[in-house]
Amino acid sequence: MAEPLLQLRGITKQFPGVLALDGVDFALTAGEVHALVGENGAGKSTLIKIISGVHQPDAGRIDYLGAPATFPTPRAAADRGIAVIYQEIALFGDLSVLENLYVGAYLRPLRTTGRRVDWARMRARAQEVVASLGVELDLGAPVHRLSAAQQQLVEIARALLRDARVIIMDEPTGPLAQPDVGRLFSLIRQLRSRGVGIVYISHRLEEIFAVADRVTVLRDGRRIITAPVAHTSRDALIHDMVGRTLDALYPKSAVKAGAPVLEVDALSKDAALADVSFVLHRGEIVGLAGLVGSGRTTLAHALFGIDPPQRGRVRLDGVDARVSHPGQARELGIAYIPEERQRQGLVLPFPVGENLSLAILRRLSRLGFVDHAREAAVARDFVRRLDIRTPGINVPAAALSGGNQQKVVVGKWLAAQPRVLIMDEPTRGVDVGAKAEIHRLMSELAGRGLGILLISSELPELLGMSDRILVMHRGRITGELRRDEATQEKIMTLATGVA
Amino acid sequence: MRIRLLWRERVLIGLLVGSGVLLALLSDVFFTPANLLRATRYAAEIGLVALPMTMIIISRGIDLSVASNMALSAMTMGLLWQRGVPVWPAAALGIAAGTLAGWLNGWVIARVRVPAIVVTLATLAVYRGVATGLSGGTGILGFPDSFLALGAGTVAGVPIQTIIWIAGIAAGAVFLTRTAVGRYIYGIGHNETALRFSGIDVDRIVLGLYTASGFVSALAGMIYAARVGTAKSNAAAGYELTVITAVVLGGTSLTGGEGTILGTMLGVLIITILQNGLTLARVPAAVQDVLIGTVLVGAVLTYRERAGRKEVFVIAPPQPELHHVGGRVLTDPGNDLAVGEERRNP
Repeated sequence: MAEPLLQLRGITKQFPGVLALDGVDFALTAGEVHALVGENGAGKSTLIKIISGVHQPDAGRIDYLGAPATFPTPRAAADRGIAVIYQEIALFGDLSVLENLYVGAYLRPLRTTGRRVDWARMRARAQEVVASLGVELDLGAPVHRLSAAQQQLVEIARALLRDARVIIMDEPTGPLAQPDVGRLFSLIRQLRSRGVGIVYISHRLEEIFAVADRVTVLRDGRRIITAPVAHTSRDALIHDMVGRTLDALYPKSAVKAGAPVLEVDALSKDAALADVSFVLHRGEIVGLAGLVGSGRTTLAHALFGIDPPQRGRVRLDGVDARVSHPGQARELGIAYIPEERQRQGLVLPFPVGENLSLAILRRLSRLGFVDHAREAAVARDFVRRLDIRTPGINVPAAALSGGNQQKVVVGKWLAAQPRVLIMDEPTRGVDVGAKAEIHRLMSELAGRGLGILLISSELPELLGMSDRILVMHRGRITGELRRDEATQEKIMTLATGVA
Repeated sequence: MRIRLLWRERVLIGLLVGSGVLLALLSDVFFTPANLLRATRYAAEIGLVALPMTMIIISRGIDLSVASNMALSAMTMGLLWQRGVPVWPAAALGIAAGTLAGWLNGWVIARVRVPAIVVTLATLAVYRGVATGLSGGTGILGFPDSFLALGAGTVAGVPIQTIIWIAGIAAGAVFLTRTAVGRYIYGIGHNETALRFSGIDVDRIVLGLYTASGFVSALAGMIYAARVGTAKSNAAAGYELTVITAVVLGGTSLTGGEGTILGTMLGVLIITILQNGLTLARVPAAVQDVLIGTVLVGAVLTYRERAGRKEVFVIAPPQPELHHVGGRVLTDPGNDLAVGEERRNP
């Protein structure tokens, strides 16, 4: 193999109380896509922060472009051609694409000195780079009007404008819909052919097999293995990540569906929802598939009362129900695990216990006064039942890993004892171990008679967990597939409205 | 349970004791029971209004209209009384008017979704304007002694408004730390969206907070009118900034989610004894402003050092109206009134 572009040897990083990285080696060759996988807390973030100058290693050496290098600040790393594209897109929404492309690195006029900015030259170069990627991007448009995929494109173009030799992509497909993922992959292949080295981080293992050349697995701050993807398998990777074999990836138990618990009839809301009708039975997991913007989340918000529908009927256990705000939904027995865990699901600075009790605090109060003993008992009970890994119920939710935070959100709603549980992307950004636990929990809850509506952009999850799958396209349900007949292809056909 | 940021309280208690000792050295009059009790008459007005203000700021809001509301409710009471309504029913109606004014703030903020700072900046002007219009430019004097007792009377030697304030502190602290709604107020300050997604009626709580602020401001307006013996439209001018300064000094974060009633109480005490003592020590008003501003910035910086938090916000030093009373500067030699206290029946 050619001379590595970037080589890390024996990188060690200690944080108070945690050995985040323990003698990790990592190499990246020009024109290579090197995937980095591991559970949350395995050290992936720390490693990319060391490469990009956010953290300094305590021990070990970094060679870059064939010479020893240090990156004392993110700016220093960026100036030397190391770009990071974070999961949360970090752009200025109100500024134009062009301004975002050059933020912090405006071009000066070639001849004159001074503080003037040479917009004409910046625009010309930007057009060149965008065109070379074979994509279209309106440079004058404010970034907040762009789709998630287009915003990501802006970040990639920005990296190229700065002559990035190394691009680190942290969960780049998180905000993307399925067709955009394919486009991103072809873009990545294009970057690779230009000799850019790409560090690719994802929890979605199938992506790694689709796009990466090599894969490095981290666990508990140590490098477990580095191998060409052709020489490994999904099961082997999972085994290396969690250090044990997961019993079953989608532990869906067959439950005999009971009586209808939720009946939705001709629900409509502006153009976002059009005559949506379906039935959810007790003990049933119904998957809701569709592209981003197809109306899945709109439907969930309508049922939960965040954004009530204009027309249509909802019946719970055969009784007409009108839900005009989430408090009513909760009292009627509808729970909603929201899509954006940190923004909608949790009060991050609040302790784990106070997050767990948030939805039922009134029920834990007498005359408005919180019964703290009962509250703590309920919180401890859910920490135990859901195996939430936390030092205690008084630790801020912000301190937990993504998977455990998600379990807190799930616990908060199970505490409300719902009949219908709507889960919107319940395992997004959650590591494989916690993901399997959430799936097992879903199965168990269905077994106890809960009706579950599962919204997911991850098709293997939908196929693995659902008894039936409803597919939405442009605010309508365009099809229904039984578990035994559903395939990724059929779902995508219905979801894109081709059929 | 939420008495966790002990560091802040310790800084504040240190500040309070330190400034007390310093002021006692600078002035013979300062550290006398008579002066201190008199000073709490003024502190109680600031302190009462600061209670709902603390909760509003914890919920990431602000109410700039409180002082205007004090004047508006006092004028309402005065005009009704002048037209023959007995004084206590008139006071009750004045308080009702102030409560309504607070509810209106809350309604526009929660239902029309206009930012609190915009709404209350507008009503700061509107309520003061209405009060001025109603007054026709003159104050109303001559209230019966039973009413004036609210501002000048004592029970067992303690000023009546001080007792009301202490009761308010106890109620406010219990409410904020022990009730579900108190918890929600912190939650709204941290992440309003997550509260909505948990089925909590955020709008109702916000509406309640501003309504409570209106009610308490109106009550403070009555106390103010009773203390100075006059209902006038320029009453309590500039109090809103003193109140907000005290709340922020007390450790409440303008970015929401953090703050305690105990901290606010200490903040109010520090600001009011500084104003009182420095005046007695003949420190010019301009220097007082600079000193208080410096104390505010200094205290808030120590919270940041200690808590390792990013959110530190400093507002401009207060511009209290105390320095000029009836065209007369209170630092006049020979002024025999404590700061904050104004001449009755001018």
